[in-house]
Amino acid sequence: MGLETKYIDETKGGKGEKDKAKEEGMYLYCVADTGERASLGAIGIAGNEVYSIPYNDICAVVHNCPAHPYQSNNQEVVKTWVIEHQNVVDTAWRKWATVLPSSFDTIIKGESRDNTEQNMKDWLKREHENLKSKLDKVRDKAEYGVQIFWDPKVMAQNLLETSPEIRELNEEIKQKPKGLAYMYRQKLENLIKHEMETGADVCFRVFYKRIKKHTSDIRVEKTKKAEQGLQMILNFSCLVQKDKYAELGEELSQINQMEGFSVRFTGPWPPYSFVGGS
Amino acid sequence: MEPTRNSHATLVDLLDRVLDKGLIIQADLIISLAGVPLIGVNLRAALAGMETMIQYGMMEEWDKSTRAWEGEHRKAKRTAVTSGEEVLLEMPGSYHYSQGIYTAWRTGRIYLTDKRLILYNPSFEEVLFETPLQRIKGLTLEEDKCFTEKVIGDLCLLLESGDVIRLHALDTPGLKEAIEQRLLMLGLTWQQVPSLSLQDERTASFLREGEEVVCQGETWHLVISQAQGIATSQNWKHGHLYLTSRRLCWWHDFERRLIFEVPLEHIVASILVTNGRKAAQTNNRKGVLDVIYQGEHGKEVSSFSGDHLTCWKGELNRIVLSEGIGTNRHSEQTDLQEGVSSAPVVQTLSRIDS
Repeated sequence: MGLETKYIDETKGGKGEKDKAKEEGMYLYCVADTGERASLGAIGIAGNEVYSIPYNDICAVVHNCPAHPYQSNNQEVVKTWVIEHQNVVDTAWRKWATVLPSSFDTIIKGESRDNTEQNMKDWLKREHENLKSKLDKVRDKAEYGVQIFWDPKVMAQNLLETSPEIRELNEEIKQKPKGLAYMYRQKLENLIKHEMETGADVCFRVFYKRIKKHTSDIRVEKTKKAEQGLQMILNFSCLVQKDKYAELGEELSQINQMEGFSVRFTGPWPPYSFVGGS
Repeated sequence: MEPTRNSHATLVDLLDRVLDKGLIIQADLIISLAGVPLIGVNLRAALAGMETMIQYGMMEEWDKSTRAWEGEHRKAKRTAVTSGEEVLLEMPGSYHYSQGIYTAWRTGRIYLTDKRLILYNPSFEEVLFETPLQRIKGLTLEEDKCFTEKVIGDLCLLLESGDVIRLHALDTPGLKEAIEQRLLMLGLTWQQVPSLSLQDERTASFLREGEEVVCQGETWHLVISQAQGIATSQNWKHGHLYLTSRRLCWWHDFERRLIFEVPLEHIVASILVTNGRKAAQTNNRKGVLDVIYQGEHGKEVSSFSGDHLTCWKGELNRIVLSEGIGTNRHSEQTDLQEGVSSAPVVQTLSRIDS
């Protein structure tokens, strides 16, 4: 809904007015794979006019702003900014097919408006080769997030049934007097914890292989705290050929059907995770 | 399986990407980024804060600031205490590190800050242990019942993860108090755990139901190997002596089991020899404590050495008296000269008598 309106804006957007005040910053949304100079309309953060600054066969998608970062203590405001940032990147992505998204609040500075634009162009010029090779790398691809969770309760129950060592210890506890049983339970818990860690490692390797073969590139991200008593055992960012995401989806639904496992599959995202570095 | 990008459910995924990733531009061209990650962190804190609040019932403001702090300092972990963090208490200390069969006390400086508890080794610039204060779910001061000049207490922390951390500080009770004060200020709740059942594995493995450890301490024990009833070799071995509510027993550290035990009612007497003769092998001159007891084949003697032998002797004799056994200890001692088979002990006894 919000997204749609923004896209419509794109078609309506007229040529950007020249800046009135003497601003000295330029907010960079992304670098796109085109030499076109165009306006995307007033779709930027806080309703700013978004346009492209071309150099050769690439361009920077920007809006003019003062030379200080967007900051606010109001989370709702910041959240809106981030979503607006993403909308601009999405718009450019649709329009020009291949983009290198920049992170929030990347602002190029200059002594004057003209100087800022010059700095941006100089940067495009200087980095042309590097940016071009990054564009080549992500062309016709999109980023997908893959997170796999397991239910530790199900896993622990499985271990109680399948691991002879754990089963034996569990039986033993029943025959121990109270005080000792406590110590044994701790021992059992530690053993289960350990076995689960090993199990998570194995799963990680197996799933990594299964997922990697459908991707052009893969980034292993930090796992995070999960909700509803689940544990995240892997967190990947995958760069996937646009026509191959269905294969990946098929693989993931098989994993999703395994008892105790669940998969979170998000995207398509602009290739944020594959444009960093130099 | 179809990927989703519903704006609400995947907001966190979006933030991860927009705030942390993307093109990198040389710093001289762009405006200062110092404040930039803060926005991201604040924002994420607000989002993550909600789940956490529900999960732990924490105060939102505080949780936010902690999360913000964590994010901000994630990269700067190498220094013990970072700017913006206030040190409330600092003292030398150590923590009991245990990994598999490897256990050791690792020493450094303990820092209690307004947010964390840290043990830092300045010489190696290594953080040996750290925990955000809100992860502390229980605290207790475990008093070690060993014979030392003063009773030493270890501070045991029960963490959210269920792990138990054993700390030792120059002023352990002071440290505990300071942590509790800070937790109180943060509006956190914690348990006063009367005992975390931290009696180490050792005691757990041999204590019987209803049996309690009265005293324990590191001691050497003269282990006599026998072949056909004749002592073939004698060696001082290192271990721990335990006086429980029922038994006197000695744990051999190397074999990790009890190799000596005698019910309290069989203990006849204990004698302290301080001339250093027998203890020569233990590389100290602390003396030897001979414990005389009723064994299977009449009276037997076991020898121990180490610190606080006087205390052990006092404790044992008090038990002998209170148990109403060995009513006439002097006569028992005299009898021993004939009763005891092990030659060195006889020598000991005659020396005392003379």
